[in-house]
Amino acid sequence: MEQKKKKGKNLSRRSFLKLAGGTGLAGATLGLTGCGQMEPEEAIGGEGWMPAQYNIPASWPTQVRGRVPIDPDNPAIVRDDRKCVLCGQCIEVCKEVQSVYGFYELPIKDEIVCINCGQCIHWCPSGAITEKNDIDKVLEALSDPEMTVVVQTAPATRIGLGEEFGMPVGTNVQGKQIAALRRLGFDVVFDTNFTADLTIMEEGTELVQRITGELDHPLPQFTSCCPGWVKFVEYFYPDLIPNLSSAKSPQQMLGPLVKTYYAEKKNLDPKKIFSVSIMPCTAKKFECQRPEMVDASKFLNDPQVSQDVDVVLTTRELAFMIKQASIDFHSLPDEEYDQLMGLGTGAGAIFGTTGGVMEAAVRSAYYLVTGEQPPEALWSLTPVRGMEGVKEATVTIPGAGDIKIAVISGLENARKVMDGIRDGHAPWAFIEVMACPGGCQYGGGQPRSSTPPSDKVRNTRTASLYKIDANAKLRNSHDNPEIKQIYEDFLTVPMSEKAEELLHTGYVSRAEEFDAKKPEDYLHEV
Amino acid sequence: MAKAVLVDIPKCVGCGGCSVACKLWNELDWDPYGNMKTPKDTAEEPNNGLWPEEWTSINQYDLDKDGETVRRYVKTQCLHCEDPACASACFSKAIQKLPEGPVVYNQDLCVGCRYCMLACPFDMLRYEWQKAIPGIRKCQMCPTRVANNMEPACTSVCPTGALKFGERDELLAEAKAIIKENGYIDKVFGEEEVGGTSWLYISDTPFEEMRFRTDVTTRPLPSYTDKYMKATPIVGVGWAAVLAGLYVYNNKDKDPLD
Repeated sequence: MEQKKKKGKNLSRRSFLKLAGGTGLAGATLGLTGCGQMEPEEAIGGEGWMPAQYNIPASWPTQVRGRVPIDPDNPAIVRDDRKCVLCGQCIEVCKEVQSVYGFYELPIKDEIVCINCGQCIHWCPSGAITEKNDIDKVLEALSDPEMTVVVQTAPATRIGLGEEFGMPVGTNVQGKQIAALRRLGFDVVFDTNFTADLTIMEEGTELVQRITGELDHPLPQFTSCCPGWVKFVEYFYPDLIPNLSSAKSPQQMLGPLVKTYYAEKKNLDPKKIFSVSIMPCTAKKFECQRPEMVDASKFLNDPQVSQDVDVVLTTRELAFMIKQASIDFHSLPDEEYDQLMGLGTGAGAIFGTTGGVMEAAVRSAYYLVTGEQPPEALWSLTPVRGMEGVKEATVTIPGAGDIKIAVISGLENARKVMDGIRDGHAPWAFIEVMACPGGCQYGGGQPRSSTPPSDKVRNTRTASLYKIDANAKLRNSHDNPEIKQIYEDFLTVPMSEKAEELLHTGYVSRAEEFDAKKPEDYLHEV
Repeated sequence: MAKAVLVDIPKCVGCGGCSVACKLWNELDWDPYGNMKTPKDTAEEPNNGLWPEEWTSINQYDLDKDGETVRRYVKTQCLHCEDPACASACFSKAIQKLPEGPVVYNQDLCVGCRYCMLACPFDMLRYEWQKAIPGIRKCQMCPTRVANNMEPACTSVCPTGALKFGERDELLAEAKAIIKENGYIDKVFGEEEVGGTSWLYISDTPFEEMRFRTDVTTRPLPSYTDKYMKATPIVGVGWAAVLAGLYVYNNKDKDPLD
């Protein structure tokens, strides 16, 4: 007892440190060897951000999820992942407005179904989705002194381009656009409105022949100017391909004509012509790369002649080129298109909006059937104007009777009508379909003037196109003197052998690429 | 209960939303050249497309199925083993399996030995070689989200249902039902591999052709060493007791604390 007491009192400094150090070491070892469960917060990561729609209990439904798949090989559309915020708007427009995403069965086969319309570009709030940039190819051609670079401008780019330079929505900058293209170094500037008129002659003749039974193709005839719509039919309604007009789109008509008709007139080597088109559209980038779009090369029997349209640039890409070249767009003078294929009528101009092709076609169909000029009522076919998804009208043409027509924009609307046609409900003779709601004026290549797209902008741009038509000296495609000239000098008559070779095309079924959903499977889906 | 993710490979359309979600939620850096890589490119990378800042990778495989070429996308990331070899290899307990399922890593405890990388049978862990104070990087399965009853970032954004989050046993049952209904290959990858993983895969094309390691054992890897490694604390404490005893015996005439 005596000894113990003494020991306690004699605890030296050294002994104490030994004791404390030992205990500490043992504790630290136990701690480090993981006595105690790690908390989730201690893990690395998890310090970032996710859109609110995803920060909910796992058992709750999320209505808008993810994003649309875009193949790296997509010829028209690209996405920068660094800008994507997973808001889900692209998938919404692809599914609900265009009825593409979600309308095929999984698994996919070897293709990501995309009609290249580019509406997702307009719905993307962060600018992550955009067109595939092809400016470099054009710059390369422009820098080649041996190349004659020919450019065409679509009906709708002239009323959109100004918006990229701060002008009010729908400002018509046709003259400035031509001036800018010349300053960028393009040698020849043609107007797609011209081939829009040509399309009407070919497509109108085809329609009349279908109605009279001269051509054994089914009615209703569908328009074929919209490459997004054409691809949509090839994917989902291959059985209705015979209904598609065989006439090419205006862009693809001008392409081969540049390398044949124009080259012949100007005595140019078709191999040294580079054909560019400025389009309000991303699907046009796909269209110009379609393997069959090499008709100039086939016609001339020269495999060295490149594809009919070499490069398609969107309105936005043209604006970028103008800005990059430091051209003061506002102070440019108004210039005129080059002759030969630079004259378009009012009918060609309204190709840029929903209902426009129909209105133009009706005017010329009247002339083709009766041989007389259309009455003034056909110069303002109000039932097919406006932003409604499906518009119907009946036109009376003496000699052909009452012709029922329909105008559709937005492919979800088209799908309903197509399903109806499959079920036997097809009272129409002619149906115009544009993939983008409102038509080309709000195509995937137009300036992003509202996100998501609004009918206010659509209506303003459309009004501008109708104004061009109303003020035009020539309002019927068949009155275009350059159209008369090309038939006299080169093509002879609509649907002649030469016209068939250069201006008409065929379509391929894409049904093998994937399994389309059946209507009974998607009708109940919300 | 332990959570898991079921990957229904044929349902994936390759949108890549999951990898963007991973970047957003974990604040991972964008490789300036990474955006130019396609799912085809990453499938050919020796490391399966996983990098310190790429915790998940969508890899594209073009396979032959019944005479036609089909495209399949495989989301790759840490599989979160039920009994993880990396965690058992980590002597500093920087890697642990949470009861909710995720296998997580705490850099504060890490000594940088990289035993975990050697231990992983699927080569899922990456080391920050370029950093002054490097750490291990891999998918954490969003532990704060999972612990708070939310889905991991990646599965929450999947538009097609190719990624499904839920209870492991329920997902296993669902996976088997899908396999039966769709005529998939009769195997749930991850059900038994290395004792089971929290990420389960089902497919209609052979797993071997999509760079899955199907040659691994079904035995949990730590179980190979468990028998004797389990004795470590006993041996340690035993030795301490023996040595302490000897010390006391040797110094029995002295004051023990001197």
